[in-house]
Amino acid sequence: MLSYILDRLKSSIVVLFVVSIITFFVLMIIPGNPAQLILGTDATPEAIAELHAAMGLDRPLYQQYLSWLLELFKLDMGKSYVYGESVTVLIARSIPVTFSISIFAMVMAVFVAFLFGMLSAIKKNSITDYFSRSIMQLGAAIPSFWIGMVLIVYFGVKYKILPVSGFIPIEQSFTGFMRSIFLPSLVLAIGEVGTLLRIVRSSMLNSLKQDYMDMAKVKGLNAGKIYIKYALRGALTAPLTIIGMQLAKLAGGTVVVETIFALPGLGRLVLTAVEHRDIVLLQGLVMFITSIVVIITLIVDIFVMFLNPRIKSFHQGE
Amino acid sequence: MRKNISLILGIIFVFIITAVWVLSFVYMPYNPNEMNISNRFLKPDFDSKHIFGTDNFGRDILSRIMYGSRNVLLVALVSVSLGTLIGILLGALAAMLKGLAETIIMRIMDGLMAFPGILLAMMLVAVLERGIQGSIAAISIFMVPIFSRLVYSMILDTENLLYIKAAKSYGSSKGQIFFRHYIPAMLPRLITQFSSSIGSAVMIETSLSFLGLGIQPPFASWGLMLSESRQFFLLHPYLAVAPGIAIIITVLGFNLMGDGLNDILINRGSNDE
Amino acid sequence: MNKTVELKNLYIKAGDNTLVNKASLMIEEGEIFGLVGESGSGKTLTAKAIINLLPKGLTYSADEIITAGKNILTASNKEKKEHIGKNIGYIPQNTVFYLHPMLKIKNQIADGYIYHMHKTKKEALEKAEALLSKVGFKSPKTVLNYYPWQLSGGMRQRCNIAMALMNDPKLIIADEPTTALDTTVQRQVMELFKAINEEMKLSILLISHDLGLVKHYSHSLGVMYAGQIVESGYTKTVFSRPKHPYTQLLIKIIPSLEIRKNEPLTEIPGFVKDKGRDSNGCLFYNRCPEAMDICEVKVKEHMDDNEDHYYRCNLE
Repeated sequence: MLSYILDRLKSSIVVLFVVSIITFFVLMIIPGNPAQLILGTDATPEAIAELHAAMGLDRPLYQQYLSWLLELFKLDMGKSYVYGESVTVLIARSIPVTFSISIFAMVMAVFVAFLFGMLSAIKKNSITDYFSRSIMQLGAAIPSFWIGMVLIVYFGVKYKILPVSGFIPIEQSFTGFMRSIFLPSLVLAIGEVGTLLRIVRSSMLNSLKQDYMDMAKVKGLNAGKIYIKYALRGALTAPLTIIGMQLAKLAGGTVVVETIFALPGLGRLVLTAVEHRDIVLLQGLVMFITSIVVIITLIVDIFVMFLNPRIKSFHQGE
Repeated sequence: MRKNISLILGIIFVFIITAVWVLSFVYMPYNPNEMNISNRFLKPDFDSKHIFGTDNFGRDILSRIMYGSRNVLLVALVSVSLGTLIGILLGALAAMLKGLAETIIMRIMDGLMAFPGILLAMMLVAVLERGIQGSIAAISIFMVPIFSRLVYSMILDTENLLYIKAAKSYGSSKGQIFFRHYIPAMLPRLITQFSSSIGSAVMIETSLSFLGLGIQPPFASWGLMLSESRQFFLLHPYLAVAPGIAIIITVLGFNLMGDGLNDILINRGSNDE
Repeated sequence: MNKTVELKNLYIKAGDNTLVNKASLMIEEGEIFGLVGESGSGKTLTAKAIINLLPKGLTYSADEIITAGKNILTASNKEKKEHIGKNIGYIPQNTVFYLHPMLKIKNQIADGYIYHMHKTKKEALEKAEALLSKVGFKSPKTVLNYYPWQLSGGMRQRCNIAMALMNDPKLIIADEPTTALDTTVQRQVMELFKAINEEMKLSILLISHDLGLVKHYSHSLGVMYAGQIVESGYTKTVFSRPKHPYTQLLIKIIPSLEIRKNEPLTEIPGFVKDKGRDSNGCLFYNRCPEAMDICEVKVKEHMDDNEDHYYRCNLE
């Protein structure tokens, strides 16, 4: 069990290391001189050369990489030239926005996916099943920016029920906070619910086919026990893994949704960094976001292991 | 056998989109870039000359949808094809060479997979020029790890099968085994994955265009059309209808086709997945 | 004597294809009834019809299915479920997958008892402990805290048996309960069945392809062939005076008295019919050494009232 955790930890670190290499070197080939970008077009060549040297850009690439990596460990990701602020501070400020809408979106998606996934598997080929399968397909095919625009028109402009842009921190006003994250979360949830519903449905169908379901039926238990204690319990592993992956993906920035609803989250930062080719900011963001993804995936894997005792024993070498 | 509704619907949608695409080379109602300020914001009207209406420059939306389909489908097809080829190559190299090559290739793929959603594509766009080539490169690289992992695991699953071992013992070269045995065995899954990947590629392309990182004006892309309509959209909601439907039909079509193919090629009639 | 199971003229169909054709059997209170046959002969389906567990797509009809004093055919779905859950214990062939792999034994052994007998979890676990030690566990408390995969095949089967006994059922249906086990464990499990049968006075429907085992442990038996019960009666009678040529051949040609699973009986030429089981003729006709022309279209059913010896054959 411990060896499994160590194993996963080791491969997570390898992934992050690979990501850091990809990120650093890919972004280093961006055309244009960062010093020039910072100083603008009217700067003298001397000034540019001076800043260039001051930023350490005249050193060999591997030296630059190593010192960048070292700074990363100290949580110092440099200074964004667009904002003129420390990348770490910028990220820290954006986290509450992105995390709030991601988590709330997943809560909605999980609720709908489990409800309809289970019903749809239990009553396969029923109307509920066809409805669920339509959600599965449509959820994956409707672009989030489009559904976002539609929701803004209906909820925000036509009926004026909900705000259509901006973020209200939770400590300012709870209702304001919920109202400000509801529509963006809904848009994200619509994008994720299809995939999750599909996994819940197929895991449930598989679990319902297992022999232990026969046993539960022979015992004459009530439907709740049969479908939740037996069927659902045997169908949790795959959905939980997917939930982890989706949460990781959302927590890593929801660029499109943050753009439509004008939310100051991680996604907005990414877009700004890309638009302005703010390499330092982009490097920091990419490293931070992929670390989040890797850490959440790791936590979910370990959680699933505890839930699924056979993996545990497998790694104990039963 | 149960009728394969997914496949039928998928083929219909893909056919519609393909027809629009092909037709755009032969006939479009208007010049998609022709601006006519006196015709701004004409509402969709089947009796008038603009079925889907006109945009803020008075351009005919139907013509722009048709014109945009060229770019959307071009980017999707080329990038998924490139991604597939490179992915198959890398996956096969990793699985068949083993050793250091396997470790290096697969670790890089793990690394690429750790980038969530369109972050990787956005990062690449930052490096490359925005536009068709940039989008193609970004989406291709996005597709590579998906296909290489698929191919890698399929080869590992089949390499111990008897007929592969037999071929090895006859002294078939790695290349021969790859083309004669692995490729035919992997084809069903590759076809299915290819179809669904076109759907995701369309989604990424339109997202990039929507964010202003993909195809640049005055060229047309459905994502770009939605993005341009944003500031007028509250007053003229119809602007978003046609591009939205075009995207949905395309993505839905390729996804359904992928699922339908999966049913007949791999799951053989079961709709469990 | 009272009957625990009365099954009259059971038909099971998959669409138009008949799988079980007019099977009837009777199990007396407190007896072990052996149901033997090759695989595909319909013995498991017959048992599953009794406990309402036929796979989806199969339909059944019968003139009578009475178990433990209740007519299952006329009962509502809910009544059926309640009655079966309370009065019939089921012990499956494959021990690995019938216990839920992600639940500890204590979380699945007693839930039927809690539900039907309205007991607390504590009472239920006490009973489970007692039963686990009855089926031979030295430290039942530990077993309760195990997951199924931490137990050996024999131990899992003991858990299944204990679980089947929780509600003090009138009938236990044991479907090939020893196939997955090795020989010594097989013997122990069968001795356990015998002890339970004698001690608790419950009936056991023992489904097996092992004629030797059935001969040794059952009071009565039925021989199934191609979806029909071709001969049934007291075990002693059937073995001393087998009437049906199939039974005779089984007893004669198989020295080990064990029909090999999933393998055709090559000693008898031909194959078991899996189509056309709705024929009025004898289904063993194409393989029978004593077949007559009439056997293809018609078969006579014999019932010896004195000894309850039944067989379907045109020979006298």
